[in-house]
Amino acid sequence: MASLVVSDLTKTFREKKRVVEAVKNVSFSVGEGEMVGLLGPNGAGKTTTIKCTLGLVKPDSGRIEVEGVDAWRERRKSAAKLAAVLEGARNTYWRLTVWENIVYFAGIHGIPVSRGGDYFKYLLSVLKLEEQKDVEVRKLSSGYKQKTAVACALAKRTPIVFLDEPTLGLDVEASYDLREALRKLQSEEGRTMVISSHDMKVIQDVCSRVIIISRGRIVTDEKIPDLLTLFAARRYKVVISQNGDDGAIRRAETEALERFPGCEIRRNPQTVDVLVSLADGRQIYELVEIMRTSGVAIETITQEEVDLEKAFLEVVRREARACG
Amino acid sequence: MWLVVLQSCWVKAYKLMTRYLFNMLSGFVTLYMVFALLFFGAKSIGGSAIDLGDTLEGIFAGYLTWMLAMMGSTELAWNVTNEAQTGTFEQQYLSPVGYRWIAVFTESFNFVYNVSLIFLIALVMAATTGQEIHLHLGSTLPVMLSVYIQATGLGFALAGLALMYKRVQSFFQVVQFLMVGFFLIPWDRFPWARYLPLAASQRVLQRIIMNGDRIWQLPAADLILVLCVTVTYVALGAALFALAESKAKERGVLGQY
Ligand SMILES: Nc1ncnc2c1ncn2[C@@H]1O[C@H](COP(=O)(O)OP(=O)(O)O)[C@@H](O)[C@H]1O
Ligand SMILES: [Mg+2]
Repeated sequence: MASLVVSDLTKTFREKKRVVEAVKNVSFSVGEGEMVGLLGPNGAGKTTTIKCTLGLVKPDSGRIEVEGVDAWRERRKSAAKLAAVLEGARNTYWRLTVWENIVYFAGIHGIPVSRGGDYFKYLLSVLKLEEQKDVEVRKLSSGYKQKTAVACALAKRTPIVFLDEPTLGLDVEASYDLREALRKLQSEEGRTMVISSHDMKVIQDVCSRVIIISRGRIVTDEKIPDLLTLFAARRYKVVISQNGDDGAIRRAETEALERFPGCEIRRNPQTVDVLVSLADGRQIYELVEIMRTSGVAIETITQEEVDLEKAFLEVVRREARACG
Repeated sequence: MWLVVLQSCWVKAYKLMTRYLFNMLSGFVTLYMVFALLFFGAKSIGGSAIDLGDTLEGIFAGYLTWMLAMMGSTELAWNVTNEAQTGTFEQQYLSPVGYRWIAVFTESFNFVYNVSLIFLIALVMAATTGQEIHLHLGSTLPVMLSVYIQATGLGFALAGLALMYKRVQSFFQVVQFLMVGFFLIPWDRFPWARYLPLAASQRVLQRIIMNGDRIWQLPAADLILVLCVTVTYVALGAALFALAESKAKERGVLGQY
């Protein structure tokens, strides 16, 4: 059964002069126990999508189902199934200790310490927060503050957890610790998690599937290994020799750019690299044909190594072109 | 579930209060001094020009009402404003019982705390200065509660405004003075003034403190008025807050966007 189903979600913000289509016809579903990444540049609509699901921002249209419960019609029921760490906010009381925060936020979710205490302690150990247990949050570094916020959200033991940019502003070590803890907890508990980030490394590290959002629309929704192989198959580097006729090289460049508008040309001292992403692998023959008719000599053709970061940039760039 | 939430709110409110120990102590001292000043000051001046029954007990009742109302209303509004900025507002909003109940539970803690403080200070006053204040527990408590509930309504209304328009904090202070106005307007010249928030409760409280009346000795009409006014204003406040909440959700400004 799907844990979370978002269908046709649309949200437009109207301010005095500005109208922002923050989320437009977004649909996706997340299976039980899945760890999904929402990836997209700043302003893509990740936070808005998450807040609509949590009942904090009212969508213009669309439907959100949390374990079969309509998130807006039966808010109380769906709220009981959700927890979240929100982006860029403290999320916790700085004047309370780590432990007091956890006890409070679990408490207002209906879980008393007497029932949740052992689990709270376990969370502290997984998140490496044990020594900070009785320290006021305001005295902690940003890494520990964020871990406290994550602990408060997880302590509610809801089947679905949202983490909006959980590693934003953390140093390398804190970010690493947090990701490791998330992986460990998820593999033990099998909760459904939705993690948003503009940093692909974070998503690649903890998620098994990525939904790429750009300008309020979903542009890709793939399992992460699929996404990598997909792009690996599509990225080619064609190296042509500079020794030939300069006019021929120009002609080849112009034609390649015309036929494959996204392609990238790098001039090196000895060679010219033509980097191109192809929707269909067979198109490589077209490119070779262009080179041949222009009269340039191809030295090598290679498939490019791809990581998620490149794939992501590629998708976003393509989307930007499509929008003009 | 509800009990757990109530308990959590009380524990948190208590913890936060002790964390701001200095505020708590200075609050106690200030209150003691104001009480003392009211009594000795009013004695030496000998009555006052405003329509408060012209006696120190009258002034005292007015002050008590005002103080309770202020604590009840602005604390709630301030909390919403501050917590919207820190993101704890949205976090509490995620609770299945909803923010409204959490606010009510927290207010109930504040009520118990503030009323205990008042009685404690009255006792300390009696012990240190020999000044007895007629604060019959069974009679004043329900009236104080009515004041606090009306204040909560007002607080919800202010909090709602704060949600929609982020820069209304300075307006809170104006409201604090407006509240005095609510019960200073003489009823004989302006009969509608009795329907203002706090006015009826203040009148009743004044009679209890001044004459040492018990609540069951007061005219039923007055008590019914208090009841109706209380229910009306808390309902109005809650409705306004609900409206503001839904507007804020539409604009996506429950947090600090
Ligand atoms: N409350 C709001 N009022 C007006 N515009 C908003 C509001 N919240 C978000 N936006 C706009 O909507 C777009 C999407 O924002 P957001 O969902 O926060 O993106 P992300 O989380 O992917 O960075 C942005 O252009 C942002 O400026
Ligand atoms: Mg965001």
